[in-house]
Amino acid sequence: MGIDLKLDKAEGSVTITVSGDIDMSSSTKMRDALTPLFQNNNKVIVVDLSGVSYIDSSGIATLVEGLQWSHNSNNKFRLAALTPGVKDVFEIARLLTVFEVFDTKEQALAP
Amino acid sequence: MVAPIKLSIPSDPKYLGLIRKVLQELLDSHDVPADTARRLILCVDEACANVIKHSYNGPCDEPIEATFSIDGDDFKVQIRDYGKQCDTSQIKPRCLDDLKPGGLGTHFMNEIMDEVNYCTNRAKGTLLTMIKKLKTELTSAQDKDKG
Repeated sequence: MGIDLKLDKAEGSVTITVSGDIDMSSSTKMRDALTPLFQNNNKVIVVDLSGVSYIDSSGIATLVEGLQWSHNSNNKFRLAALTPGVKDVFEIARLLTVFEVFDTKEQALAP
Repeated sequence: MVAPIKLSIPSDPKYLGLIRKVLQELLDSHDVPADTARRLILCVDEACANVIKHSYNGPCDEPIEATFSIDGDDFKVQIRDYGKQCDTSQIKPRCLDDLKPGGLGTHFMNEIMDEVNYCTNRAKGTLLTMIKKLKTELTSAQDKDKG
C-alpha cells in the first residue's frame, strides 16, 4: 500500500498528483510533500486526486491544512479529479463546498 | 447467521490496508453495494486508527482485534483493544463549521453507522461495537435512484 506522489512545477503554480490509498500510514508522506510548497512563492497549488480511490480523516486533515494556508496567504489551494469514493468522504465531512473542487487538473490550473 | 470473521492486527498503521481489504472481500461476498461497503470500510479504518492513536499512542505491536458479522439485515463490527481506556464522555464529533485538521473520524462513524457503542466495562482496553442496518441503506439508495 502507500501512495506515490508526482510534482509538476510551473510559473507560480505547482500540481501534486497523488496515487494510492491515503490513510494514517501514508498521509504523513503527502503532508511532507505539501508543507514545503506552502513556504514557496506558489500562487496556486493543485492536488490531483484522480489516482486516489480511498481517503480517510487523516488525509482530509492534511488537505484542510492546505485550505488554511490558502485562507491565510490569499493563494489558491485546489483539488482536482476526485474519484467517487473520495468525493463521498468529502460529502460526509461536508467539505465539498468548502474546498475549490474541479473536474480536471487543467481546469484547476486555469486562472 | 454466518460465523463471524475475526482478524487481529498489530497497532501499526501499515496494517490498516490489510483490514480494509479483508472487509472489502467479506462485503463483496455478501453482495453489499459498493457505496455502502466503502462507507463501512471507512468506519472500521477510522476506528482502528483511533485505537492506534489514542489507546496505544505509540507502540506498533499491540493487538487490535476486529470481528465482523453479517446477520440478516445487520452488519456488526467489534473492535477490541487492550490499551488506555477511552473516556466516553470525551468522545464527540467536532463541529463541522470549525474548519481545522483532525477530529473527523468520530463524525464519520456517527454519521454512517446506526449504532456506535464504546464499552469500557472490563479490566483493560475498550470494546467498540458498531452496527449498520443494511436494508435501510439499500432502501434509501433505491429511493434515491427512483427520485
